[in-house]
Amino acid sequence: MTAAGPLDEYRLAGLLAGQGYFADEGLLTAVHLALRLGKPLLLEGEPGVGKTELATVMASVLSRPLIRLQCFEGLDSAQALYEWDHPRQLLRIREAEAGTAGGTDDLYSERFLLARPLLRAVTSEHGAVLLIDEIDRADSEFEAFLLEFLGDFQITIPELGTLTARRKPFVVLSSNRTRELHGALKRRCLYHWIDFPGSEREKAILEAHVPGLDVEAAERLVRAVTSVRRLPLLKRPGIAESVEWARGAAALAEDGAAWPQAMRAALGLLVKDEEDTRLLATKAAELFGDA
Amino acid sequence: MRDPAGNGGTEQVLERLWGFLGALRAEGIAGSPARREDFFRALAVSAPRDAAAFYWRARVTLVDDVRLVPAFDAVFGSWFLLREHPAPVSPAGEESSGVPAPRGTDTGVLPPAEAVLGSGAHAGADTVTSTREFGATGDSRARLLRALEAEWRRVLPSVRSRRHRPSRSRGTLALRATARLACRTGGEVVYLRHLTRPPRLRPVLLLVDVSGSVKQHTPDLLRLAHAATRAATGGAEVFTFGTRLTRVTAALAHPDTGRALTAVAHAVSDVDGGTAIGASLAEFIATPRFFSLARGAVVIVVSDGLERGDCDLMLRCTRRVALAGYRLLWWSPLACAPGYRPVTRGIAGVLPWLDRLGGVRDLPSGLAELRHVPDVCARPRREAFREWPDTNPRRQSWQS
Repeated sequence: MTAAGPLDEYRLAGLLAGQGYFADEGLLTAVHLALRLGKPLLLEGEPGVGKTELATVMASVLSRPLIRLQCFEGLDSAQALYEWDHPRQLLRIREAEAGTAGGTDDLYSERFLLARPLLRAVTSEHGAVLLIDEIDRADSEFEAFLLEFLGDFQITIPELGTLTARRKPFVVLSSNRTRELHGALKRRCLYHWIDFPGSEREKAILEAHVPGLDVEAAERLVRAVTSVRRLPLLKRPGIAESVEWARGAAALAEDGAAWPQAMRAALGLLVKDEEDTRLLATKAAELFGDA
Repeated sequence: MRDPAGNGGTEQVLERLWGFLGALRAEGIAGSPARREDFFRALAVSAPRDAAAFYWRARVTLVDDVRLVPAFDAVFGSWFLLREHPAPVSPAGEESSGVPAPRGTDTGVLPPAEAVLGSGAHAGADTVTSTREFGATGDSRARLLRALEAEWRRVLPSVRSRRHRPSRSRGTLALRATARLACRTGGEVVYLRHLTRPPRLRPVLLLVDVSGSVKQHTPDLLRLAHAATRAATGGAEVFTFGTRLTRVTAALAHPDTGRALTAVAHAVSDVDGGTAIGASLAEFIATPRFFSLARGAVVIVVSDGLERGDCDLMLRCTRRVALAGYRLLWWSPLACAPGYRPVTRGIAGVLPWLDRLGGVRDLPSGLAELRHVPDVCARPRREAFREWPDTNPRRQSWQS
């Protein structure tokens, strides 16, 4: 973090915007409070609204390393917390036998500890940004491993004792709500639901992420995306998709295509479903303007 | 902190805030002291500049589920009288969100016997919001339910879990465990340990029709679903649909069937109403967190398949669900009748995508139908049409 005082919402908004991330007031408050209260932040929302992106951007805003833990079924404490380095321990025992090293008293010391993401976040010198991504993909039992860490930013290793973070990491958890999270986990976090952005904010996002996009084109794209989201689609495009689409259309427009055609030609970047594509094709004229 | 309502000293402000928290607790929001502590700490560390900032501080600290947002907004509005607070679009509620149903003029619900050869045009699509009690379970049913529970467990196919389990002799060598053992024997590898991937049951996804056209069967169909949630270790997910889609897994959680059904009756608002199968399935698919439940699951649709009006949406959505799931079974109360043939537009259309079209109208027929599940899982996909040979042997294609 930069040294000049606490990060209030205004400064945070500026710093995030500098990285091309445009947050609304609710999200800014959530991030601000997470930093001030030193609590993890649980983010939910439709796919592609920028849950993961926030952690990445916060890492550069705070100039801290980003540590990412991708959750999956079967994820266990050895992959998330820590693991003893058994091969090295064996070698150590052999050395002791051969008399080339001292005793084997230090077999369970930090030398032989392999730090996994959560332990790395705890031991990180200057505090880290930890992203626990798609927590709903892990088994519900796994959440129990997280409770001590999320509550006190500490990890207890039976052989060593309790390791506490010297500097609290900034923790972001993301979930797609495929299953209900435990109350115990939620209680330790601040909660925010990220919504689709309003058109002003989406325009700012497009202009920041698509180099050389003029104002008129941005407006046209945002108008189209907003009306596309209103259609009864099977998968509504997120921000990630609309940025990709704008990039594609801009590239085509640069090559000399007219905007309506460019937007239509790049549609595969916005909508990734055969049926949705067909639905859009029937409405292309009113959505993208006449060719 | 400045009083967001703009009057009074600290005492009054505090009183107001506590009153607000009390009102929230009455709504079941932020009952725990930890949440309240967060709320006050948030106000203490950074005083809100304006009403919107106050709103967000309260919501971020006090609400931990997007479903609670509308209730929170209501309480917040009534306590701080902020008509213009930044009403954020509250995303669709999880448990029940309305599917806009096409209004039809025909609300008539045909008894199944008549509907067998119907065209589906008589299934109503009016949104009738009603709840109802599902009646007592009774002793004979209780016995059947226990049998069903055991049967669910027996018939579900299994996959190899991604979660490793230690084993003494089978599976791949567990280097870590072996090395740890070797520490005890002076660094010499004497004992070996293994890891296996044990089988786990595939998840079950049940989509149960509760519309008026299956009215008389609804209680038993829900009991069948309840037996599934109790039996399936992988977790059965249950949705009901009539004119709207409702996720009732949580409501079915109580181990007692009667209580679980009462909870469902409260959760579902469109019991015995019209039918909008296509719209309900479309909503299921369009909600990513619902649709991902279908992936790799044994999907069972319990419905008579009598869609009102145009079946196109229902056909397209059924195809999508069939592609996502491991097997797609369709249990229709109508198919119990001896002379039944799948000729209504809806059922005839989805038949090429089904792995089994069976008749289930009560618990015994459910038990009988469950016994077919292993066979269905053993044979190639989309073979349901072979069991109805005289209908239309041509595999229809309506993909384009």
